[in-house]
Amino acid sequence: MRRFRFWTRWSWRDLRRRWLLVTAIALVIALGTGTYAGLLGTSAWRTQSNDASFAAVHTHDLRVSLPQGSQVPEGRLAALVSGLPHAADVTGARERLVVPTQIAGPGGLLVTGELVGTDTRPGPAVDGVWVSEGRALGAGDDGRPRVVAEAVFARKNDLPTPAELTVSGGAALTVVGRGQSPEYFLITGAQGGGTPFLSQKSYGVLFGSLHTVQRATGATGVVNDLVLTLRPGADRDAVAAELRRALDAAQPPVAATIGTRDDIDAYRILYDDIDGDAKLWRVVAVLVLLGGALAALNLTTRIVEAQRREIGIGMALGVPTRLLAVRPLLFGAQVALLGVGLGLLVGWAIGIPLRGLFTDMVPLPIWRTPLQLDVFAQAAALGFVLPFAAVAWPVWRALRVQPVEAIRVGHLAARGGGLVVLLRRLRLPGPGYHQIPVRNVLRTPRRSALTALGIAAAITTLVTVFGFLDSFRGTLDRAEDELLHAAPDRVAVTLDTFQPLDGDVVRRVAALPQVASVDPGLLTTGTARAGDRRVDLVVEVVAGDAGWTPTLTSGSAHGGITLAAKAAGDLGVRVGDTVTVEHPQATPDGLRTVQTPMRVTGIHPNPMRMLAYLGQDSAAAFGLTGTANLLTVTPAAGVAPDAVRRSLLAVPHVASAQTAQAATEGMRASLDEFVGVLQVAAAVTLLLALLIAFNTTTIGVDERAREHATMLAFGLPPRTVLGMTTVETVLVGGAGTVVGILGGYALLRWLTATTIPSVLPEIGVTATLSGLTVAEALALGVLTVAVAPLFTLRRTRRMDIPTTLRVME
Amino acid sequence: MGEARTDLSPAVDARAGAEGTRIDLDDVCRHFTVGGNVVRALDQVNLHVDESAFLVVLGPSGSGKTTLLNLIGALDAPTSGTIRLAGTELTTASRAERTRIRRRTVSFVFQSFNLFPALTALENVQFGADVAGRAHAERVAEQVLEQVGLGERGRHFAHQLSGGEQQRVAIARALATGNPILLADEPTGELDFRTGVQILELLRAQAEAGKTVVVVTHNREISRVADRVIELSSGHIVADGPPVGGRAALADLHW
Repeated sequence: MRRFRFWTRWSWRDLRRRWLLVTAIALVIALGTGTYAGLLGTSAWRTQSNDASFAAVHTHDLRVSLPQGSQVPEGRLAALVSGLPHAADVTGARERLVVPTQIAGPGGLLVTGELVGTDTRPGPAVDGVWVSEGRALGAGDDGRPRVVAEAVFARKNDLPTPAELTVSGGAALTVVGRGQSPEYFLITGAQGGGTPFLSQKSYGVLFGSLHTVQRATGATGVVNDLVLTLRPGADRDAVAAELRRALDAAQPPVAATIGTRDDIDAYRILYDDIDGDAKLWRVVAVLVLLGGALAALNLTTRIVEAQRREIGIGMALGVPTRLLAVRPLLFGAQVALLGVGLGLLVGWAIGIPLRGLFTDMVPLPIWRTPLQLDVFAQAAALGFVLPFAAVAWPVWRALRVQPVEAIRVGHLAARGGGLVVLLRRLRLPGPGYHQIPVRNVLRTPRRSALTALGIAAAITTLVTVFGFLDSFRGTLDRAEDELLHAAPDRVAVTLDTFQPLDGDVVRRVAALPQVASVDPGLLTTGTARAGDRRVDLVVEVVAGDAGWTPTLTSGSAHGGITLAAKAAGDLGVRVGDTVTVEHPQATPDGLRTVQTPMRVTGIHPNPMRMLAYLGQDSAAAFGLTGTANLLTVTPAAGVAPDAVRRSLLAVPHVASAQTAQAATEGMRASLDEFVGVLQVAAAVTLLLALLIAFNTTTIGVDERAREHATMLAFGLPPRTVLGMTTVETVLVGGAGTVVGILGGYALLRWLTATTIPSVLPEIGVTATLSGLTVAEALALGVLTVAVAPLFTLRRTRRMDIPTTLRVME
Repeated sequence: MGEARTDLSPAVDARAGAEGTRIDLDDVCRHFTVGGNVVRALDQVNLHVDESAFLVVLGPSGSGKTTLLNLIGALDAPTSGTIRLAGTELTTASRAERTRIRRRTVSFVFQSFNLFPALTALENVQFGADVAGRAHAERVAEQVLEQVGLGERGRHFAHQLSGGEQQRVAIARALATGNPILLADEPTGELDFRTGVQILELLRAQAEAGKTVVVVTHNREISRVADRVIELSSGHIVADGPPVGGRAALADLHW
């Protein structure tokens, strides 16, 4: 015990003597450990919060949705449920009327959105509304023009409570509260009739009673949706199959799709995203930790090197090797412990902004963010083991030598020249000492490589993180380019039902003074199958004379279906192949679901997988010839698209009106929120790169002290000596940065290929690295290391030359 | 770095006249505080060197000889007293002026050679010429390296040379500066006898060529080949004059 205390005390003295380096190593370890704990802890938060949120609002297990524009009398869907063989398994069933709409409100608010009317009969809630502000709707509100606004939409648009809103058709509704419902925890492409990019700010959802929504939309006595909850342990597939049979057997048959909870985009993404993010966070955290471990290895190697003579003296005095290892290992253990201790603080500190960012970005009604002890324990273990292993290696090396080698001094202790001999013939212009920085890099190849790798790890993280953003922005740009390549001022107007081409609605829209022309079309949902692969589609029948048609990367737009390149890839089909498209078809009895083989005639470049187009010649398959539920409106000369949207608000059966530009604006807004989380990671990696650079320079100045003292003794100005140090670190930093950029791009490609397809299967995201990101990485990597030597300027200028030379001898 | 000097002569600089090699120390004290105690490394030292010579500063460990060398070399400043080097007052010189003096007036040879490991022997020598601002630095370096007998080893790195060769390169580096005062701190300390004598021979030759060479050593035998021996003890000069028994030939040395 006394012996242990002796070695511990000695190692404490080592810590104190090199407190600056020790602090630097500990901080590097702390950043790695803290990032690991902080970022990975968010996965547990999100899982717990998702579970609590979806349970609290009784999220449906099954949903029956009628195709857009199709409705059945109120009570008909509910009646089908009561006749199911497994009806006892159904614990809750609610008929709904879900109608796309436009919402106008105070402060010039005009957004696309949905009205969700749910029947208010007594019974268990399904897809309830979690009211966070104002009041919930009660029995007394049934049929009255009172609604609850989706909370995030209301907050982001500063919607007061109460607020007066006007929806398509001109109905006025009063917002009495703010609330959230599970399908709208996140706004995705599923909402808005397949409009690909929407955000909670630009997509308004108003929850009301069924009769309120029926009155507001003029759809009295009808519903188009049914949501069910099942008792725990019920056979969901069996109930779904029974429902399918009941719908088909009904007279007239009801064309509808049956979805499960897993088909709720918000549900799927919120859970899948945890895994996807965890993968990214794990990579980021491990890279930061790796960078930290490499830096720690570099520093501890230096410290153990400094103890070389003392170890040799111990050997010469006959101290057992294992005992000699105690002091440096204790030193390493204490540094690692210090780093882990600080790391837990860093993890806790990182958690604070992350908690705020996540609760803002993923607005669940219930957020649970307790300290994740298991993740912290894991981080602590890794944070200790990695740097401790980094110490063990140089200790082992130091103990392997003969005592006589360890205690040698002066030139006899000088080691070989590393790889410097390779540069013997390379002569840079200028004085001979201009060769020193380049050669010094190769003279200590292991240290240079470790430093470069440490910086590379930091830059890799930075490039991966920002590359993710670039990839999403690139995808948005591609979508925007495609949507705006022609008629960028057009307004896409969706109708709540199929209207005759020569009917009143089309005529009224065309007659508006703000409108120059109207191109009627069809927009419906469907599913394409090829073998056992399937892709959900939003199929638009493109008018031949419309102002906009999709760009084709191959094939033609006539005689078949045009798919997105991503959809074709996922289905494994090419131009000329045939896919089976399951789609609604109008019959005298109403809409029914049919399967039609369609030839793939074209491929378009829009990254949104769901977007598919049919020529007018193929529209007959829908049985909807002579009708339209989509109007492409060209504004009159000098009229802004928003003015057209506002003028459409009073036209009956107009569900929504969206400008082409607005399609991507919402997603950009969401992306900007996501940037906040990534910025936390970027800040950590930047700090890490700075620390690594600072440590490297400090070591460099330490190791080169004798050379610098000699140079100064010969009268070389300190600025020239500093310049050489800077060039040396910039060379190492530059190499590390280049490796980091390449590594970051490779990692980005891997993550994009493995994560995005599961989290966001509807979007064809390709790994993209912008010039700005590369430039930023280069600037950060190189400038950071270039700046670091400035911290040693004072030390170099005030160097005690005789003492340095004497100490080194 | 100032104007380039164009003379190619490695050993004798144009300024190596009476003033160029002159060293004056008057009442110089250098005190250090170590653990609260004041250590008088040098106390009231007076020393005047007015012509080129081979000086040996002799003394036991801790006598103050390296401190004296550091003060003469403008590496350190005295606690009190005045030092003039080649006519320039060092005591009041700024940091930049002292750097310039080191660049243009003195050059060093260290006990542990302190060669730059990243440079070849030739480049190490060229360093001296470059720093001193000499034109045709590479040619000067080649000449000096040839002069110290290492013309064939110019492309070798320090770790590829023996101790004696490294010290000869270190001397060549100092000579390549062309500076009139050469300061050597225990230049034979890490060398065997035969190599040590070769080094002394080289240093003596510089003094004969017009430089002032100051060698610090604890090896009394070396003082036998000096023109003048200054003996230090506890920070005081206790003897100053020619070697006892007259100057010996290098061949007569033994240690």
